[in-house]
Amino acid sequence: MTDIVLTSTLPVERRRSLLGDLHEIAVDELWKYRELLYQLILRDVRIRYKQAVMGFAWAILMPALIVAAGTLVRFAMAYVGGGHVARDAIAGMAVKALPWAFFVGAIGFATTSLTGNLPLVSKIYFPREVLPLSATFAQSFDSTIGAVTVGIALPLLGVHYGLTALWAPVLAVLIFCTTAGAALFLGCANLFFRDVKYIVQVLLTFGIFFTPVFFEPRMFGPLGARAMMLNPLAPLLEGLRLSVVEGHNLLAPLVLATPKGDVIVWSPWYLAYGAAWAILGLIASVLVFHRTEGKFAEYV
Amino acid sequence: MTGTPRIEFDQVWKKFARGELHDSLRDLVPAAVRRLAGRGRARDELSGEEFWAVRDVSFEVRPGEALGILGPNGAGKSTILKLLTRILVPTRGRCAITGRAGALIEVSAGFHPDLTGRENVFLQGAILGMKRREITRRFDEIVAFAEIDAFIDTPVKRYSNGMNARLGFAIAAHISPDVLVIDEVLSVGDMRFQQKAFDRIQEMCTSGIPVVLVSHQLERIASLCTHAVLLERGRVARRGTPTECIEAYLESSRNGDSTANHTSALSFDALTIESALPVRSGERALFRLTGTVGDEATDAASRDCTLRVRALSTGRLIFSAAASACGAVLPARGPFEMDVELQFNVAPGVYSLELAVWDAESQREVVTGPGVTLQVEAGALTFSGTSHLLPRVRVASTQSTAAGASR
Repeated sequence: MTDIVLTSTLPVERRRSLLGDLHEIAVDELWKYRELLYQLILRDVRIRYKQAVMGFAWAILMPALIVAAGTLVRFAMAYVGGGHVARDAIAGMAVKALPWAFFVGAIGFATTSLTGNLPLVSKIYFPREVLPLSATFAQSFDSTIGAVTVGIALPLLGVHYGLTALWAPVLAVLIFCTTAGAALFLGCANLFFRDVKYIVQVLLTFGIFFTPVFFEPRMFGPLGARAMMLNPLAPLLEGLRLSVVEGHNLLAPLVLATPKGDVIVWSPWYLAYGAAWAILGLIASVLVFHRTEGKFAEYV
Repeated sequence: MTGTPRIEFDQVWKKFARGELHDSLRDLVPAAVRRLAGRGRARDELSGEEFWAVRDVSFEVRPGEALGILGPNGAGKSTILKLLTRILVPTRGRCAITGRAGALIEVSAGFHPDLTGRENVFLQGAILGMKRREITRRFDEIVAFAEIDAFIDTPVKRYSNGMNARLGFAIAAHISPDVLVIDEVLSVGDMRFQQKAFDRIQEMCTSGIPVVLVSHQLERIASLCTHAVLLERGRVARRGTPTECIEAYLESSRNGDSTANHTSALSFDALTIESALPVRSGERALFRLTGTVGDEATDAASRDCTLRVRALSTGRLIFSAAASACGAVLPARGPFEMDVELQFNVAPGVYSLELAVWDAESQREVVTGPGVTLQVEAGALTFSGTSHLLPRVRVASTQSTAAGASR
C-alpha cells in the first residue's frame, strides 16, 4: 500500500499556489478517493430507484414535462402571433429540456449534499468534493437515459442527424463542467449559510424563464438575443439545439436579418464564452471549496 | 519506519467561537461591512466570543506505542481527535499522520438507511478509504464479525440499533490501518459483543501500529496504553505513564469536588500506601491517613469519616464504610494518624481509595482530602467479575449404582 501522508497545517504556513492546489485536489484527493466517489454515485443512483414507483421513467419524466410545458407556451405564442408551431421547435425544446433538467436536478441535490450528510462531514475525513460531485454524476446517470430516449425520439420529429451533431458530446462535457462548478460552489455556500438552499430553489424555479429552453434568443430582437446569451448556460443550450436540430456548425456565425435589424443567432464567440464559464467557473469553485474545506466541520 | 513518529502533534492550537456563527447570508452582510470598516483582527487574537479549545498541545506516537488521552469533559479530547483525523484544521501548529489513519469514531455515520447491509459495507468501507478489492476480500470476515449473516441483504433501516452499531464497528475494525485513532466506541452492542470489540481493539493495539485512544474508561487506558496525556481546559496538564496520568486526573477531579463549599470539622493532610506495590488480587494493603480534628467537631458524627474504594474502570463505588463502623474512633481534638488495612478481593484493575465526610449543610457525604490510586494485579485469587466471594464448594456424587446401570 502506498503511504498517504495526512497533514494539516496552518494555511499561511503552507505555500498556496493555484496549480499546487489543483494538483492536490486532483491527485491527492479525488484520485485517491475515486473508489469513494464511485460508491457515492452508486448510492445516489440506488436510492433514487429503490422503493420508487416510477423506476427508470423518472429519468424521462422531468424533461418530458418541460417539453410539454414549453409546447403549451409556444402554442399560445403562435396563436397570438398568428404563426404555427413547427416540429422543429418541439425538437429544439426537447434537446434543451434535457440539459436544463440535468442542471436543476444536480444543483438541487448538490446544494444540500454537504448539509444532508452532516454526520459524515463532522465525523470522518474524506475529500468533501466527492459529495457535490457524486450528486452531479448521479444526475448524469438519469440524463444519459434521457439522452438516449431523446436521441431515438428526435428523428420522429423530423430531425436528420448530420456531422454537426458531433458537437453534442463537447457541449455535454461543458454543461457538466458548468453544473459541477455551480454544484461545488452552492454546496459549500449552503454549508456556511443555510438560506442558500431557499435562494437556489427560487432561482431554479424561475431560471427557466431566463434561460433559452422554451424559446430562442432571436425572438427577443437584436439586443435581447445578446442579453439572453449572457446566461452561462444559454450558449451551451442554444449550441446544442443549433448543432443537433438545425445542423449548424458552431464554428460558423449565424445571422438572421429581420426588419428590426440583424439578429446574431450564433457566433463562435458564444461558444468560447460558454466554455470559459464552464472551465474557469469549475476551477474557481474547486479552489473556493478546497480552501474553505477546513472550516466545514466547524460550521455544520 | 520503526522509531520515527507516525503521529505528530506539534504545538497545536485550535480556536473555536462560542455561540452562533453567521448562519445566513443576512448576517454576513453586516459582518462584511464591519470587516471592511477596518475592524478586522489577526487570526491569532481572540475576540469576545472565541476561546482556545486546544492550547499548545504536542505529542508524538511511534510504532509500538499507544497514547491514551484523558481529561474531563470539555478538555479538548474530541477536538484533538478531529484534528488528528483531519476533520478540523489547526489554528496554529502542525499535526501529521503518516500512512492510512483508521478511526474508530462514530462507526456507522456513513450508513444510508435505504441501502442493504452489503451495499453499506462497500459504501462505508470506501468512506474509510478502503479499495473495493480489499472490501471484497474481507467482506465475509466483516459480516461474520458483526454476526448479521442472515440480514446482510436487508436494508439497514430495518436493523436494530445493535446490529447497526455492530456492522459499523466490524467495518472500521477491518481496515488494517497504519495508524489507529480510537474514540470511545466500546459501548457497542451487548456485553458479549463489547468484549469481542474490546478484544479486537486490544489485538489492533498490540499489533505494533501506533494508537491514540481517548476514553473515560480509565481502566482501558491503563490496560491498553504505553503512555498517556492528561488534558485540562485544552492544555497538557500531565504526561507520563497511564497510571501517573490517571492519578493526576483523579487528584484534580477530587479537588474539583472539594471546592464545593462545605465546612468540615475534619481536615486530612495525607493518605499514603504503606504496603509494597503492586498489590495482588486477594492480598491486603495498608494505608496511612494523617489529619486533624478541628474545634468545631462537637458531636461524634462530625468526627467520623467514610472510607470508599472505587473501581476506576467503571467509576463505581465498590466499597464504602464509616471508620466508626470499622471500630475506629478519632480523638476529640488535635492531629491523628489512622492505619487502614483492606483486603483486595477484587479483580485486577485500577482502584482508588478516597475519603468522604458528612456535610451537615448539604445533608450528604462529600468526598474530601487526598486520595490514592493503586493498581491491583492478578494474584493468588483467580476469578473474573468484580469481587471475590470467597466461595466454598463441596461436591458429592449423587449417582446411585442402580441409576448408573440403567444408562
